[in-house]
Amino acid sequence: MMASSGAPAFPVPSHVALLHYGESELRDAVLGFLQLGLDRPSEALFCFGEPGVGERLLRNLESRVGRDLSPEYRAGRIVLGTANPDVDRQLENVIAPLEAFRASGFALVRFVGIVGWNAPDFPPPEDFLWFESKLNEIISGFPVIGLCPYDLARMPARAIVYGALETHPFVLSGGTLRQNPQFIAPDRYLHERLVALPWLQDDGRAALQAGGGRMGIPAGSGR
Amino acid sequence: MSQARFARSEQQLTAPEHFALVHHGEEELREKLFDFLRPALDDPKQAIYLCGPPGWASRLLGHLETSVGRDLRSEVAERRIILGHGDPDVDQQLQNLLDPVRELCGRGFSPVRVAGPAAWDVPGYAAPEDFLWYESRVLPGIEGLPVTIMCTYDAARLPASALLYGAFETHSHTLIDGVFSESPSFLSADTYLKTRLIHLPWLEPDRGRAVSSTSEDRPARGRRSRNR
Amino acid sequence: MERERRLKVMGGEDVGREALDLERGGIAVLDSAGNVTWTDEAWSAGDGEGGLPRAPIGTNLLEAYRGHEDPRAQAVANGIVAVFEGKAMYFEIEHRASRESGRSYLTSVAALRGDGAGAVVVHNVVGGRATPNLRRPVDVRSTSGAPASSGIKRLTPREREVLELMAAGLDNRAIAANLRIQYTTVRGHVRSVIEKVGARSRLEAVARAYRNGWVPP
Repeated sequence: MMASSGAPAFPVPSHVALLHYGESELRDAVLGFLQLGLDRPSEALFCFGEPGVGERLLRNLESRVGRDLSPEYRAGRIVLGTANPDVDRQLENVIAPLEAFRASGFALVRFVGIVGWNAPDFPPPEDFLWFESKLNEIISGFPVIGLCPYDLARMPARAIVYGALETHPFVLSGGTLRQNPQFIAPDRYLHERLVALPWLQDDGRAALQAGGGRMGIPAGSGR
Repeated sequence: MSQARFARSEQQLTAPEHFALVHHGEEELREKLFDFLRPALDDPKQAIYLCGPPGWASRLLGHLETSVGRDLRSEVAERRIILGHGDPDVDQQLQNLLDPVRELCGRGFSPVRVAGPAAWDVPGYAAPEDFLWYESRVLPGIEGLPVTIMCTYDAARLPASALLYGAFETHSHTLIDGVFSESPSFLSADTYLKTRLIHLPWLEPDRGRAVSSTSEDRPARGRRSRNR
Repeated sequence: MERERRLKVMGGEDVGREALDLERGGIAVLDSAGNVTWTDEAWSAGDGEGGLPRAPIGTNLLEAYRGHEDPRAQAVANGIVAVFEGKAMYFEIEHRASRESGRSYLTSVAALRGDGAGAVVVHNVVGGRATPNLRRPVDVRSTSGAPASSGIKRLTPREREVLELMAAGLDNRAIAANLRIQYTTVRGHVRSVIEKVGARSRLEAVARAYRNGWVPP
């Protein structure tokens, strides 16, 4: 799905998993996405993640556009949200700004939620998956394009399977937006899938311990 | 074209086929392996080829024997089940797959079912980029043959990059959580090398190199979900 | 809003030399007190020539650098918590966070490409002990970006033919058939090509061939 500008044509609302490899690919994808909103006064930007991540994203955006974005930030057109290990708090940290944007009359919110898998300031993975699935219900009530970047260079495969693929109706990878055949709707996901997550089962925990859960990029060891 | 079906799921495959099973841990692997290979055990006109890094073919055979409840020595002896292995030389690894498979087809078996794990960043074996090249050459190598190949990707062990670049981009179909579907990210072999392989992020100097870490990753224990 | 810190990328030189492995330089991670808590192999093996003085795990790097004549060392002494060497190619280091203990280690260090400058993002650096979650030193790779032009010059004409066919995606059997030579001969040529162009894998050799224009697009 591509718009005439070459950028993906996101449906509104939409909840999209962005698969990227490393920081530079993240910046390329996300900053372009955010900048489009910056250029349109009726749109708002919402950057979310672990402490400091929103700020860093904003600084990167400032570098890209070549100006200080403090006015937009002070005016509430750019909001930085913070993750929370308590998943209910995290959800509230998303909902409250969206409601504020709506009350302010913004036509579209561009939301970027940088994913932290098993990170200290993030909910544990199973809670995070609940959050991701729940976002589908929440986003459906707002004019939002929600982009959730999953860094292939950092995450284990299960974050992609259970997080990116099963909780997002769309996947953006290599600049191409696609509908995601692995998506599981929230009503089924929450009641059928979550409770059956492998690492919450005894043999699943054993699998993780046996595998060591290696992550990271290829090192070409042993050659 | 021949057909291959799963024992328990309703899925019917048209051979040749090369798909990726994404599973979580050994138990699910064993279950899905049996589902895929059982029809070949029940039908003397079908054959099985098991492969992987050292020890893996035997391991898969062990899973199969556990599932079927008997040893499969006679099938191995009559070379209706063949155990193969990979190779540090990726091209040799490709031949180690194609030669026995062609032999089985030449002996009249149809379909020939192949199963093996993704050898991603296995010490002493092909680097991941070479492994991806190997994966992309599999389907062209079995063109016109009654062969169905299931490559297994363990989500409990592998990094995300293995999943996207390996499972999704080099396989036309995936089997995830019992759902068999087309992989929307699949890149056909004729374009794969130039559009993807040579541009893999870790091969691009402009994007630099990321550093691998062998650190562990386990879901946290302790605080769990509260009432919703 | 906190401004992004600009840090110097210090130390060894690999400019103008393409290296798959960082032969000089390395990475040392410091805790908030300045004690070295972890180093990679390259750091340990480095002789500091053209770079900064090495300090082993357990010693305080900031003490060593305070008052050092090198402004880069002074930058470190002024609060930079990650020291890495090289001409600012792109490094990412990931350390695991220990949820159980509630403490986290350096989870992300990103050096942006630049002229010896880099931006570092540090999360919750806690130190005092070596990071337990690393089972082996991190394999750091870097390249100066200089083209490996010498590699192609070392190939024989036959090896160049083989490289072109590799770049077309052919496997060794197909290459052998195309060139009407033995399969085992092709294998030897392929190995030689990979080694001579300084690649770690068949694919990397092909990627370099395209990138450097050694084969037609």
